[in-house]
Amino acid sequence: MAITLNDTLGVKRDIKHYDFGMPFWEATKQKKLVIQYCKTAKKYQHFPRPVSIFTGRRRDIEWREVSGKGTVFSFTIAHRGPPAFQGAEPYAIASVTLDVGVNVIADVVNCTAEELKVGMKVKPYWLPLANGEHLLMWQPDKDAV
Amino acid sequence: MSLRDNAIVAYSETKVMKKSDRDVWVLAGEILESLLDKTGFEKKEIDALVMSGLTGTGGASMFWAQSTCDMLGLEVGFCEQVHTGGCSAIGAVARAAAAIDAGMCEVALCLFADTHVREHNGRNDRNYRRDWTEPYGLLGPPGAFGLLQRRYDAKYGVDLRALGKLAVTQRNHAIMNENACEELRVPITVEDYLNSRMIADPIRLLDCVMLADGAAGVIVTSRKRAKEKGLTKCVIPMGYAERTNFLGGENLVDVTRSGHEIAGKKALAAAGLNIKDVRSFHPYDDFLIAIVIQFEALGFCKPGDGMAFVRDTDLSYKGTLPMNTGGGQISAGQAACSSHNLIETVRQLMGEAGQRQVKDTANALVTGIGWINYGRNWGSSAALALVPNQ
Repeated sequence: MAITLNDTLGVKRDIKHYDFGMPFWEATKQKKLVIQYCKTAKKYQHFPRPVSIFTGRRRDIEWREVSGKGTVFSFTIAHRGPPAFQGAEPYAIASVTLDVGVNVIADVVNCTAEELKVGMKVKPYWLPLANGEHLLMWQPDKDAV
Repeated sequence: MSLRDNAIVAYSETKVMKKSDRDVWVLAGEILESLLDKTGFEKKEIDALVMSGLTGTGGASMFWAQSTCDMLGLEVGFCEQVHTGGCSAIGAVARAAAAIDAGMCEVALCLFADTHVREHNGRNDRNYRRDWTEPYGLLGPPGAFGLLQRRYDAKYGVDLRALGKLAVTQRNHAIMNENACEELRVPITVEDYLNSRMIADPIRLLDCVMLADGAAGVIVTSRKRAKEKGLTKCVIPMGYAERTNFLGGENLVDVTRSGHEIAGKKALAAAGLNIKDVRSFHPYDDFLIAIVIQFEALGFCKPGDGMAFVRDTDLSYKGTLPMNTGGGQISAGQAACSSHNLIETVRQLMGEAGQRQVKDTANALVTGIGWINYGRNWGSSAALALVPNQ
C-alpha cells in the first residue's frame, strides 16, 4: 500500500520557548544545531533542561554545536494531526539518534514512505520561522554511508 | 502499621457513558450514596477525601478536592488530589492507606469522577511539548505510542494478530460488563482490529482508548475499623509501588523497558508474591502495546517475548491468566479518571463479577501508567497487589 507523505512546511507555527532553552533557538538563526552537554558526565542531553539530568547541577551545563547527522530510532506517520496540521496528513515524525547520543523528535521532509525506515541516515532540514529562527526537521542523508 | 493493615471495604461505579447526561458532582454524589449504603458508614464518619487529578472537568481547578468536599458536605482531616496521571487511581488507594497509617484519618473516600467529554475545562500543562513536540504535530498519546510501537517492532517484532487477540479478548469482556460503555459493547474480530483505520501509524483506532464519562470510588479504612463495623467482605492492598521518570537521569534509553520493572518487583515483594503466582491481571491499557510491554517489564515473560506470551496464554476470564475482565479501558471506555481496572479488580476479588467471574480469586495485580514523556514511553508506572480478606 503506497502512501504519499506530505511535508508540513506550510503549517503556521508560533512556538513559545523557555528561557533556559534559548541558546538552542538562537543558534537556529544561523541554522546551527547546539545541544546541551554535561561537563561532568561528559554526555549530551536533549531536550534542553535547567540542570544536567546526570548530576542535577546547573553549572555542569554547556552548549556544543553538533553535526546534526543521525539515524532514525523510530517514526510514526500521523494520519490525524492536531488542528493546525489538519489537511497536511499523512506526514511523518521521526525520533532520531544523533551521533552524539541523544534522540531528537522532528518532522521528516523530502522523503517517501518507502524510504523511511528505522536505521535510515538523516540530516537537518531547516524551516524558516517568522521570527528569524529556524525549525529543525529531518531529511534523508543520501551521502551517508 | 503498613499498607496491609488497611482494607477496601466497598467499591462503586456508574455506567461508563460516551457523554454524561448529568453533572460530574451528581455522579460523585451517586458514588458517595452507594458507598454509604454498602458500608453502613454515616457521612460524618468519612474523614478523608482522596481524588484523582486526572480529570478534564476538574483538572484545571486548583481547588478540586476541596470544592468537592464542599459540594458533598464532607468534613475531612485529609484532603488530597493525586497527580500521577493514570496511576492516580491505585495511587489514591496507597495514599489513603498511608494517611490512615499515619493517623491522619480513619475512613477514606477515594473518588474518581470525571465528565471530560461533557465538560472539559481545558488544561494548561507546562512541559516539553510546546517547544519540542507540538511544532511537529505529534498528536499526544497516539503519536508517542506510534513511536514506541515502531521501536518495539524494530527491536523485537510486533505480531499484529497478537495485538488483535488482546483487542478481541478485552472486547468480549466488555460485552459481559453491563457497566461498560454501551457503544463499545459490540463484538470485534482480529480482522476488525487489523482493518481499523490508522491514527498514528502503526497505531490503529482499535489500539486506542476512547474518552468517556463516568465515576467510581472505593472506601479504604483500617482492617480494625472494618472488623468493628462488621465489614468482613473486603479486599486487602498487600503491596504497592510506583516509579516516576524511570531512567530519567539517562539521555538515551531503551523505550521498550518501563518503570514497571521496579514498581512491579517492589509491589509483589511487599505482597510476598512471585509474578507467576498472580491469578488475575488488570494492566493499565491506554494502547494495546502498553499491555505487551507490561507483561515483559513485570516478568510474566522475558523482554521481547511479549507477543509470544500473548499468543500462548488464554487471557479470557476463564483462562490461565484472566486479564482486564471488565473490558479494560480500551473496550469499556476511558472514564472515571482511569479507575476502571482497579474497580474491576476489587469486584473480582469480592466474587461479584457475575458471568465473567474468575475462578481463582487468591490475589490480583492491577497497574497504572501515567503521562507521556519525551521520546520514551510513559512518565509513571505503578502496581498494586491485592488479596481478598481471609
